[in-house]
Amino acid sequence: MLSKHIRTHALILALAIGSGGLSVSVAGAEELRIGTQLKLMTLDPHYADLNENTSLLSHIYERLVNQDEDLNPQPGLAVSWKRVSPKVWEFKLRDGVKFHDGSAFTAQDVIYSIERVRDFLKPPSGGFQSYTKVITSITAPDPLTVLIETNDEAPTLPIQMTAILIMPHKAAGGFASTEEVNTGGAPVGTGPYKFKNWQSGEVLGLEANGDYWGVAPAWSSVVFRVIESPAARVAALSTGDVDLADYIPARDVAGLETRGIKIESTAAARSNFLQFDVSRDRLPGVTDAAGKPMENPFKDGRVREALALATDRPFLAEKILGGYGTAASQMFPPGIAGTSSNLSVAPPDYERAKALLSEAGLSGGFSVVLAGPGGRYPGDGESLQSIAQNWARIGVKVQPVVSPFSVFMTKRSAGEYPVWYGGCSGEAVTLCLDLVLASADGDKASGSLNYGGYSNPAYDDMLAKAKALEEGPARSEALARATELVMADHPTIPLYHFHLIAGHGKKVGSYTVHPRGWTSAMRAAPAAE
Amino acid sequence: MTATIIGRLSQAFLLLLAMSVIGFVGIHSVGNPVFNIVNVETATPEDIRRATIALGLDQPLWRQYSLFLGNVVSGNFGTSYIYHLPAFRLVMNKLPATFELAAVAMLVAAPSGILLGLLAGRRKGTVADRAILNSSVFALSVPSFWLSMLLIMVGAMLTGWFPSGGRGDAVSAFGSEWSVFTLSGMHHLVLPALALAIPNIALIARLTRSGTIEVEAQDFTRFCQAKGLSPRRILFRHTLPNISVPIVTIIGMQFGGMLAFAVVVESIFNWPGIGKLLIDSIQLLDRPVVLATLTFVAIAFVGLNALVDIFYAVLDPRTRRSA
Amino acid sequence: MNTEAIRALWKRPASFRLTIPKLVLAAFVLLAIAASVIAPQNPYDPLQIFAWESSSPPGTAGGGGYVYLLGTDGLGRDILSTVFYGLRISLFVAVTSTVLAALIGMSLGVIAAYLGRWADALIMRVVDLQLSLPTMLVALIAIVTLGPGVDRIILALVIVQWAAYARVTRGVAMSEANKAYLDAARLLRLPPARNVFRHLLPNSIAPAITLIPIELGHAVALEATLSFLGLGVPIDKPSLGSAVANGFQYLMTGQYWISLFPGLALFGLIASINFVGEDFRRRYDPRSH
Repeated sequence: MLSKHIRTHALILALAIGSGGLSVSVAGAEELRIGTQLKLMTLDPHYADLNENTSLLSHIYERLVNQDEDLNPQPGLAVSWKRVSPKVWEFKLRDGVKFHDGSAFTAQDVIYSIERVRDFLKPPSGGFQSYTKVITSITAPDPLTVLIETNDEAPTLPIQMTAILIMPHKAAGGFASTEEVNTGGAPVGTGPYKFKNWQSGEVLGLEANGDYWGVAPAWSSVVFRVIESPAARVAALSTGDVDLADYIPARDVAGLETRGIKIESTAAARSNFLQFDVSRDRLPGVTDAAGKPMENPFKDGRVREALALATDRPFLAEKILGGYGTAASQMFPPGIAGTSSNLSVAPPDYERAKALLSEAGLSGGFSVVLAGPGGRYPGDGESLQSIAQNWARIGVKVQPVVSPFSVFMTKRSAGEYPVWYGGCSGEAVTLCLDLVLASADGDKASGSLNYGGYSNPAYDDMLAKAKALEEGPARSEALARATELVMADHPTIPLYHFHLIAGHGKKVGSYTVHPRGWTSAMRAAPAAE
Repeated sequence: MTATIIGRLSQAFLLLLAMSVIGFVGIHSVGNPVFNIVNVETATPEDIRRATIALGLDQPLWRQYSLFLGNVVSGNFGTSYIYHLPAFRLVMNKLPATFELAAVAMLVAAPSGILLGLLAGRRKGTVADRAILNSSVFALSVPSFWLSMLLIMVGAMLTGWFPSGGRGDAVSAFGSEWSVFTLSGMHHLVLPALALAIPNIALIARLTRSGTIEVEAQDFTRFCQAKGLSPRRILFRHTLPNISVPIVTIIGMQFGGMLAFAVVVESIFNWPGIGKLLIDSIQLLDRPVVLATLTFVAIAFVGLNALVDIFYAVLDPRTRRSA
Repeated sequence: MNTEAIRALWKRPASFRLTIPKLVLAAFVLLAIAASVIAPQNPYDPLQIFAWESSSPPGTAGGGGYVYLLGTDGLGRDILSTVFYGLRISLFVAVTSTVLAALIGMSLGVIAAYLGRWADALIMRVVDLQLSLPTMLVALIAIVTLGPGVDRIILALVIVQWAAYARVTRGVAMSEANKAYLDAARLLRLPPARNVFRHLLPNSIAPAITLIPIELGHAVALEATLSFLGLGVPIDKPSLGSAVANGFQYLMTGQYWISLFPGLALFGLIASINFVGEDFRRRYDPRSH
């Protein structure tokens, strides 16, 4: 009996020592281990327009146009672009780029990739069709030039091209289906890292591409470990199981820093907000103080303003997000092109809010259901609870309803909620200004996220005029003015722009976080020798 | 014998049918999985509608179910909505991870449990016995998620001896990936295997203990003692074989149970096995994978029970006589 | 199963021994019942929570005039109060589901034994089917189908638990059903329901009753596990299991109190139920040692 115990102890000790020894890296062959929340759905970069699918694959495949940390377009596989006519853009492609299998990159591959998304892939694949819908034709006057013709004026096509990753065309003609890409052997791209191995939803192994056209890859190999639970990811980082971890919750920062982990963060190009249903006359989940159904209170702008005044946004940013968030007054954080520097967030004013409610005839208050997802965005569930506490102070009784994301979305689309938590992100602020706040217009996809049915013709007008302008100060100005106009009417209550937080250990010298949430080994520099 | 086998088979079949209906209806009523595939912040209602139709989710439920049944007969559980891989293949991919976890856990639990139980049973009423008995109650009172969290706290965070989660490096063997053959794999196995093993040690110890007490009270044991056989010889050559059958039964059943209860342990330790696949798929509303996983676990559990029953009948002459 | 012995034991006046587990269990139950009186804060009332005092360590003085003896969680809820109210929910769900499951299971078991043939075959077939699956799986399927909510959780737990009672009761009832006194009742043409419920049931339930303490512990653990996985009680009225789940993320950064104290309470509750159940079984189940 005793010897059994000694043997067990010895075994454990041996394992611990043995594994510790194994993790010492061989000099010169640095492997970067990244613990990521993004689960890597398939090997097909055109499958879904989600960071889960594209962020990891952007090491293998590349874009025509990249976006830097200020969201400005930078050359990628395309070295320059020019608008030759209102509906035609010309892209000049980079020379001398090779795919991982040795074949040369030409305009054929660009045409293949775009047409694959636009024509070949069927739902649920090909989630990028919204970017290719406007393209009527793509031609290649020579192997290094692509002409893209759109059905309508597309002044910002280059930025939209950041969505499409370029795949090699099939020599035999035709298109590869998602199944073929997923199961047909190593995916081939032009990127700095080559595919080595993967286990779906668990691990992605990459090795350096020695023939890369750009900055030589800094790591000999990169291993992505999918760790979706934030607590487990933080634990893996703090114990050194991984060298870099993304999407770190704000509350874990202090603990990580005491263990010597360095933290980097940046404000995400997005915002999260509360959205009202202002179109229906009667809303489910809304009752007056006596518990009886009532007219839709959100149709009255004063009620919306009162609720906005009562929402303690600085608290959300400081306490719920632990300081890793900025209280929001608009769709994207100020400073990004197209945002207004005139809008700001004031601390809550409960007295004025109560006065506004009285003016609107609701001095007795009312009850409302406030719904949102749980665990999808930083601070989502907690914000609802906090806002419930805020609104209770002006007599509005809130029942927070937090559900898993798809449950929440299903019920919201079915119209079960009167007011809910939402979010918007994209390659430029125009996307959100258009999708969330413009009147719904089936043709143009405007207002497709305008689930509350808000309609402001003056705003629609200003926005349309702004969108027609080309990238530049004039466009940004026009967008800012439009934003100021619509925000004053409170169709939504902007809550916060959360920050994206990443942490790294000693092996990584520095890492920059991208506002679009892309986790990339290319932005991780090894520690100086 | 054949009658029982046929009975078992039909029972299992009924079970699977019932479960598939319930699982199907249940997942469907929760929500639309399309929201986990498309980017809700840029997709238009039209995109969502088309994706819903493409997955066949717009059809009436009964038609979806009959399509599903038709496919299942040919072994096709459908394609995962999230991973776009055949659901059955996903389950088979994750199976080795759960299997090696359960196997290691049982390899730790069985001998420890039996030894502790023998010790307690032989020294009934002494301090050792009461200590083992009380610790077993404590061990069985800890919910599995709490035990896992404690193990992570102590084993990984405070001491840093073991990793806080995940599976170690795996090597290919017998057509799948196994991590139990690598050092880093074993290193990652220790804590989750402990989490699964501890309640089972307690259970097996209690069973062994009561079996030992029963057997030792019987006449033939006293006869052996009268003959002058050493206590150790009595223990290992007479007592142990007589209690082995119910113990092996429990071990078999618990092994099957581990496949199911591993759900919690796998989630907390981020162990990529079938349990975690089940929970993740439920939360992502990936219906094909949920049904494939449920079916597999049910078959495994029922099959294991049937095997144990057969084993019981073969080994214990008393049941054979009464059968 | 020696039914005579069981019945004899059952009718014997119980000699009550005060043991530590019984005291602890009684304490937990009292705390749960008196929660709204003794808790310094009602954690379900948004107006009593000061959100800026969230994640305070144990012993911090709070703005409401009392000390957060066990600290606060990420939203500012007092952990001590959360434990009391969580005890209440955990116990309420577990006791309600166990009692309901026992009643339903015992009744169905007796009915199966009494009616025999097709009723027996049907009920026992369902019991076998259900018992051949691990409880966790059944619970998962049930809760996913039923959806969230305290009443749904109770229903799911009842579905999980009733089968064991049915099987045990039916076994005893089968042997009881052949006894002379029931033949007499049948000859007297007494209505079957009366036979079943006034005669058969009380004499058949003894072994099932011994199951109750163990099943109660299982019910508490199962509800906690489901809540931990996010499939249990809604998060704004947490049970001990959801409280532990809420605090899991904070564990890694040193704010251990958010998970630790609800977890200890949960452990203490289940352990005391199990010890009391042990004692109970040892005295009333002649098979145990």
